[in-house]
Amino acid sequence: MLDTTTRKGRTEAAAPTDAATPALVTENVARSFGALKAVSNVSITIAPGERRAILGPNGAGKTTLFNTICGDHPPTAGRILLFGEDITHLQPHRRARLGIGRTYQSSLLFTGLSVLENLYLAVRGAMPGRLSLWKAGHGDPALAKARRLAEQVRVDTIAGARIDSISHGQRRQVEVGMALASDPRLLMLDEPAAGLSAAERPELVKLIRDLPRELTLILIEHDMDVALPNSDKVTVMKDGEVVVESTPDRIADDPLVQAIYLGGEH
Amino acid sequence: MSLMSRSHWTLTALVLAILVSMPLLLPDFWLSGILGRSLIYGIVALSITFLASYGGFISLAQTMLAGIAGYTVAILAPTAIPASQSAVSYWLAMPLAVLAATLAGAVVGLIAIRTRDIYLLMITLALAVGFSLFAQSNIDWFNGYEGIRNVVGPELFGQPFRAHTVFYYVSLTLAALLYLMVLYVVRTPFGLVLQGIRDNPRRVAALGFDVAVHRIAAFAMAGFIAGCGGVLITFYNIGITPGSIGMTATVNVLVMSVIGGLGHPVGAFIGAVIFTLIDTFAATIYDRDRFNTLIGLVFLGIVVASPDGVLGLGKRLAGRGKRKDAGDGGTPH
Ligand SMILES: Nc1ncnc2c1ncn2[C@@H]1O[C@H](COP(=O)(O)OP(=O)(O)OP(=O)(O)O)[C@@H](O)[C@H]1O
Ligand SMILES: [Mg+2]
Repeated sequence: MLDTTTRKGRTEAAAPTDAATPALVTENVARSFGALKAVSNVSITIAPGERRAILGPNGAGKTTLFNTICGDHPPTAGRILLFGEDITHLQPHRRARLGIGRTYQSSLLFTGLSVLENLYLAVRGAMPGRLSLWKAGHGDPALAKARRLAEQVRVDTIAGARIDSISHGQRRQVEVGMALASDPRLLMLDEPAAGLSAAERPELVKLIRDLPRELTLILIEHDMDVALPNSDKVTVMKDGEVVVESTPDRIADDPLVQAIYLGGEH
Repeated sequence: MSLMSRSHWTLTALVLAILVSMPLLLPDFWLSGILGRSLIYGIVALSITFLASYGGFISLAQTMLAGIAGYTVAILAPTAIPASQSAVSYWLAMPLAVLAATLAGAVVGLIAIRTRDIYLLMITLALAVGFSLFAQSNIDWFNGYEGIRNVVGPELFGQPFRAHTVFYYVSLTLAALLYLMVLYVVRTPFGLVLQGIRDNPRRVAALGFDVAVHRIAAFAMAGFIAGCGGVLITFYNIGITPGSIGMTATVNVLVMSVIGGLGHPVGAFIGAVIFTLIDTFAATIYDRDRFNTLIGLVFLGIVVASPDGVLGLGKRLAGRGKRKDAGDGGTPH
């Protein structure tokens, strides 16, 4: 009886989920580009509040897996459930409204707008009135939230600067800020530290560590020193498939992982 | 969030003040034949520049949308020749005409929903040519090749609409309002999303915005702007013909936008003034046939010298004098 009500009574707004419902389930998800199988047969279950790292060599299909989840490249086979709800065939903006936030491997920001405008838009995307013709006044709560986000990701000092005038590291921080703006239930970070200098790295690692604990997080990261301390579980992908699923303390000893990472990887 | 920097406001106010005082300085021909005409075609060019500058869409359907407003007001006009069965007051016909253009703009946006760049150009051009051919062949409503004459517009302040000063001030007021509307809208959530779509539609969707809906709304707004221009152009020409909204007219308005510069809405009016000056005076010096050659050469010259039009040329020249101060990079909040 309880089961049927939760299934039928679900609305677009975040319905309450009991602890047993996983945050994300991918069931045999596959994605092909023509003849190329970028992702095949990936089944992952992520618990609410879990932090999951995804490792794997270049071309393993990690980013493509993100794209199937957020809807940019919907799966060609399989199912995806977000907090129990089937989102396999939803458009990207619908999935975003259900609580998926993500960053991109190479920043996808609005280069012609300022840092604060980027964050402000990200906040507005999660609110009603998306076609609003009212300019944000000083008391606008969305603008205030954008300012708080700027502080949180430490770009408040350059809030007025246009994206095309700020550094790569700062763009990575704005990326994370925008993904957080909707208060997502599931946050997916795609190599957030990619291309950062040794000096910029700790800033970002700290930013990830300071994320609220109840947030479900999937982190794609090449750098084991960034990935392992920030995860509860680790999934390793290769050639579009999941090859190992383990805990951070055991992953380094796994013979397959050693073969991938120590045999040939940079 | 201010619309423009203080120096921009000062400049805008100064230019407006000069334009307002023009009836004291200029002879009638210049007032309506050059400035007024530039303003009304500039409004249609503004609808192109708005879409291009903030949405990244180049639409060739804007002259058609102006034409839809023009034909609507002509068909409903109480003074029209041939007389219409459906005549109403101008005060009702005008808003209906603008509404028709707005809705038609939304339809164009819907038809072109998935296209960008060259494909968008092709599809909007096809719509424009198609509409012009339809108007030419339809007798019942559009009176075919001859079009609709004697659409003189309403009386204002006891004077005919086409009285030079009346026409000029109405055009100036409307152009200024639409220009400021564009500058305002691009700072609202709707306008910011539009610029987001220009920079990165994928990210816009990932933030929860429905890109399709925003695109349609942007085309509707551009249709509204073009429709306002279309009504004024129809009064200016005292009627409308299929030729006035055909391929040549479509290209002319695009040329205005590009000459002026697609980077900022003011470019539409700069381009319109340059175009009108060349159009008026080249035709008296040369014969009519050579006009297209001349405007073509000017177009080529400006675009080669500065891909972002006169506006970009001006900016570059100013930038050579003094480096742009870093704080001016767009701090709208
Ligand atoms: N849009 C696309 N069109 C065609 N092929 C694609 C597309 N996206 C990804 N691929 C291909 O799918 C495979 C997996 O790519 P993906 O980007 O998912 O790998 P990755 O694990 O994220 O690698 P990296 O560590 O380099 O980011 C690659 O062979 C890639 O070329
Ligand atoms: Mg990748």
